Amino acid sequence: MNEFNAPMPEGTIAEETIAGGSSVGKSIPHDSAVGHVTGTAPYIDDLPRRVDELYVGFVGSPIASGTLDSVDVSIASEVAGVACVLTATDVGPHNIFGPLFCDEPFLADKELLYVGQPVVLIGAETEEALDAARKLVSIETTETKPTFLIDDAIAAESFIGPKRQIKRGDPDSAISKAAHQLSGEFRIGGQEQFYLESQAAAAYPGEQGQLVVHSSTQNTTEIQTMVAEVLGLSQHQVVCICKRMGGAFGGKETQAVIPALMVSLVAQRTGRAARIVYDKDTDMLVTGKRHPYLCRWNVGFESDGEIVGLKYDFFSDGGAAADLSTSVMERTLLHAENSYYINDIEINGRVCKTNFPPNTAFRGFGGPQAVAAMENVIERVAEKLQVDAYDLRLRNLYGDSDRNVTPYGQLYTGNHLTEIMTTLAISSDYRVRVAALKEKNQNDAMRLHGIAMTPVKFGISFTSKFLNQANALINVYTDGTVQVSTGGTEMGQGLNTKIRQLVADEFGIPFPDVIVMPTSTEKNNNTSPTAASAGTDLNGAAAVDGCRIIKKRLAEFAAGLFASPEDGIIPSPEHIVFAEGIVRDSRQPNSGMTFGELANKARLERIDLGARGFYKTPGVDFNRETGKGNPFLYFTQGAAVAEVSIDRFTGEMVVPRVDLLMDIGKSINPKVDMGQITGGFIQGMGWVTAECLVYDDGGKLLSHSPTTYKIPAITDLPVDFRCEMFPNDDNLHCIRRSKAVGEPPLLLGVAVWAAVKNALSFLPSDADPNLKLPATSEEILRCLTTQS
Amino acid sequence: MRDHILLFVNGQQHRIDGAEAFLTLSDYLRKRLGLCGTKIVCSEGDCGSCSVLCGSLDDGAAKPTFKYSSIDSCIRFIYQLDGCNIVTVEGLAQEGELTNVQQAMIDCHGSQCGFCTPGFVTAMTGILEEHDQPTECQWRRGLTGNLCRCTGYTPIVQAGKEASKNPSPKLNELFAAAPMATAIKDGSQDEIKIEHLQAGAAQSIYSPTTIDQATEFLAENPDAKIVAGATDVGVQFNKGYCQSSDWLDLNRVTALKTLSLNDNAIIAGSCSTWAAIEQLIESRLPQFFEVLSWFGSPQIRNVGTIGGNIINASPIADSLPFMFVADAELQLTSSSDIRKVNINDFYQGYKKFDLQPGELLTQVRIPLPEDDEVLKLYKISRRRDMDISTFTGAIKMKLSGDTIESASIAYGAVGPVVLRLPKTEAFLVGRNLDLETMQLAGDIAVKEITPITDVRGGGEYRFQLARNVLLKFLHQVRPAGAIA
Repeated sequence: MNEFNAPMPEGTIAEETIAGGSSVGKSIPHDSAVGHVTGTAPYIDDLPRRVDELYVGFVGSPIASGTLDSVDVSIASEVAGVACVLTATDVGPHNIFGPLFCDEPFLADKELLYVGQPVVLIGAETEEALDAARKLVSIETTETKPTFLIDDAIAAESFIGPKRQIKRGDPDSAISKAAHQLSGEFRIGGQEQFYLESQAAAAYPGEQGQLVVHSSTQNTTEIQTMVAEVLGLSQHQVVCICKRMGGAFGGKETQAVIPALMVSLVAQRTGRAARIVYDKDTDMLVTGKRHPYLCRWNVGFESDGEIVGLKYDFFSDGGAAADLSTSVMERTLLHAENSYYINDIEINGRVCKTNFPPNTAFRGFGGPQAVAAMENVIERVAEKLQVDAYDLRLRNLYGDSDRNVTPYGQLYTGNHLTEIMTTLAISSDYRVRVAALKEKNQNDAMRLHGIAMTPVKFGISFTSKFLNQANALINVYTDGTVQVSTGGTEMGQGLNTKIRQLVADEFGIPFPDVIVMPTSTEKNNNTSPTAASAGTDLNGAAAVDGCRIIKKRLAEFAAGLFASPEDGIIPSPEHIVFAEGIVRDSRQPNSGMTFGELANKARLERIDLGARGFYKTPGVDFNRETGKGNPFLYFTQGAAVAEVSIDRFTGEMVVPRVDLLMDIGKSINPKVDMGQITGGFIQGMGWVTAECLVYDDGGKLLSHSPTTYKIPAITDLPVDFRCEMFPNDDNLHCIRRSKAVGEPPLLLGVAVWAAVKNALSFLPSDADPNLKLPATSEEILRCLTTQS
Repeated sequence: MRDHILLFVNGQQHRIDGAEAFLTLSDYLRKRLGLCGTKIVCSEGDCGSCSVLCGSLDDGAAKPTFKYSSIDSCIRFIYQLDGCNIVTVEGLAQEGELTNVQQAMIDCHGSQCGFCTPGFVTAMTGILEEHDQPTECQWRRGLTGNLCRCTGYTPIVQAGKEASKNPSPKLNELFAAAPMATAIKDGSQDEIKIEHLQAGAAQSIYSPTTIDQATEFLAENPDAKIVAGATDVGVQFNKGYCQSSDWLDLNRVTALKTLSLNDNAIIAGSCSTWAAIEQLIESRLPQFFEVLSWFGSPQIRNVGTIGGNIINASPIADSLPFMFVADAELQLTSSSDIRKVNINDFYQGYKKFDLQPGELLTQVRIPLPEDDEVLKLYKISRRRDMDISTFTGAIKMKLSGDTIESASIAYGAVGPVVLRLPKTEAFLVGRNLDLETMQLAGDIAVKEITPITDVRGGGEYRFQLARNVLLKFLHQVRPAGAIA
């Protein structure tokens, strides 16, 4: 990527890290922080424009369901400055793609599947010409009856992929034998990723049919392989580069493919550079989101609160094509019990096919819906038994030595949930505040108050085994500085910062002596998406592996240099230490040379200073046919207490206080990780409160910009927001005893929803209003009105 | 008559004419000057990624001083910016030295993906221009116009507090005001007219400095599109809904910005910004102040005008219900006449109002509530801040003991225009303010409104709110009585 030539101001970095001590464990600022705050960190739209470059745009389907009868691009093609107008017939034989199932047309050919589905692709020399041409495309269609509701899809048996099930014991009998039963239907809304940088890609044609594609993508390999396949190229002819993304949250795991295909096709057809940057409205209208769910549940429980049997039928809205929906549903099934041991349990999942853009990955990946469903059941059971929901949760938590096997048969080790929840109950004053709640609600005619603590246990690893691998390229230079490249992509989460820390520590050199290079398939091939919270786990481990290969060579070389047989010191690589910028023989504390000196000498002795590291997660495997196995390497855990205060007249809600405690192992970078915790939680809070996808009768999204789609603003931040990390260094499974942190805190946003549910339980009526998710002020007022 | 704009960007002077004068500021910065630090996300002033600081010469200052405030550059046109100094994120770090805000954002991990960061950095700098030691509340309230999807805002608030620990150099120190003031001084009273041809069609902008010039222009060009703050026109323009060939820009007519508060009324020139009004009424009219603090964002209120909110004629305009129950008086000026209209008589239908060709809204007079009147205002939206209302309401009553002597009620977002509820008002007069009265009033109120279901909420929800704000009013005014 062409960085701007403007001089990069020097940000200061805490002195201890410059001195060359250990970087890991320190809150070193984000890798790109200086570029961010000075506006010098470029994104796709900021790349200097080439003279021959074309603006790329498209015309989408005007209808949600039907057939494409004809497309007339003749007038549009005549617009001055228009270089190409392309339709499905220009794409060639491979117009169909998809990450799991090959079922998604790139440009619509016969069938129209959702509003905005790309039909005509335009490349033009100016934005004005592009806009003019767009308006002159004529599309004739015949409408057919669309499917918008999950219920309608179920009735019509319109599904994607097979039904999946995880089952243990005999839940039917356990439920019927239990002292109490409850059942219901729970509706969960979708969520827009709302990354700030919309989907964007630029393609530059090269020699021998090659293409270089810059993409704002979480998955460079996916872009490379899809571009090659659709354009009829071989994979070695396509390079995909991603320097950074302006946010992604799952929304650029697969959905970056279409814009990348668009610019690639235009570049291939015209031989010119081509770039597309979706505007926000287009992005929100045509890209997939977090899956809306319908959950049917049936629970049996004893009077002492033990949940003995539970049955779930989950139905997700997959949209018009498979995308990652079946994997998302898989993670729902694997998180349906959240943190609770339920002996007899059956979880069924089906993905519904509807006429919306294909829904896709979004931070949590099916886990949030599962946890919301479980916590809804918990709140309902607590209300029925008239017990505090926290006590009910403690009663049903997974155990340490027994009650510690998941429904899919994995032994749950490293369980700290009880400790986390009881610690948090004390630090948040939970009991005192709950005790005060009843009186508070009796005396406050204006506002209604509620409180809830919800836990999370989030499984770490891709549930598709083959994705649990990573490679890294390490280049050591003769001045002792190091470049690292991995398949991991930087979307703001601090991956590059952590990798720099890990590599600096391996070589014992200062943090600034390591740079993480742009992600590129040229350096790292066959990579996995940066997803499943596992970016650092996988790519960090691969980078460290690469460092160790080079260290081994250098240690052998240094052992010879530092040996002094006459003093009885024979060459011993085992005694070579890389620390504080110096390489020395530990038997001779005063010996040694700088890492750079050693690297330079090594090169002169023809020792290879480059290496490729590799890592594959050990021991994970899951059989989705039987619903059994060990899908996860370990679990990230946590809990949150949220308090809400609701305006009894308008349903408007504020969150006066949230306390949160996360076990993320030994943090590689505490402030980076804390940023994931606060950011993830607030994103989850947005999902369960104000973020609302509203469509018109024709299936077109109405809430397609920040004017109408409301993500949390700074004033929605809880007035009193306390986040802590639970001290834990027992995670031997992961690099430097750390734990993945990206997704799990998002699931704690459910605590806010549960607190609303708790507040509503103070209303006089016994009938449960079946609060939906999100609990918008409108939804809360509906419940207030029906329950008063 | 001048045919160009003089604009400073990070202290550097640019003379802009022709087509470039019609660009949005963000397009000019990114596409003409290559200053790509300013980011574009929504193109509608809702996310703040394009925030920059806009400085204009402070007429009241003894020595040349620019007054800076944050604005959304995506909905500001170049032709609105004559004599301004625009400070972008690139302009803050001079000779490689970061500002306190920049360094604090780094240290506190205030950036993750970084896309919103330039907007936050400039908006935060704007807050420090206004307050030396902002409180946490001022940091939060000052940043409602900036969305971040990554951080959960916590580290950004921390960065703000960190940045204000040490004094920062003010923008007047970074950008010497005197030379800029000298450069713009001679032309400050020029009329500006810029014309250009695009694809065969002529476009023109006229920017007068007096009301007479403006009304004379309007008399000859009654169809000209009037631009004040452009917080709505800018959005319409970006989304392709607003194409006009002739534009009249009111930004330089200082007489339209006069603003005063006396014992009886607010008297506001139609181009008074909400930020100025907010400041003026904070202690005198806290109810309206509270609504204004939720109205748009600082970036919007810094440029959005009272006249714009009135003439935009939206049934969900946040300021209107109050002005309805206050019987605000609008002064309409043409080249030959001045007339006054009660705002309750001004609107005639959806986006239709009593403004004759050639007339310009020049002044708004808002009588303040009497000491014995109770006023409560309601703005209900999906999100508290920076959201267009789902429902707005104003209830004003004069009480004598428990008896309601007079009642004025106006609701917004329940019909094509903001509505007074005359039957409900008539019902209330003479009755006791109690639960039964307000419940019965609710039954009447819902018959006076015609809410629809749209993206911001359902019709049922709005009906329920129409009832409930009457009850809320009761609880606010008579908390003890309501419970009993």
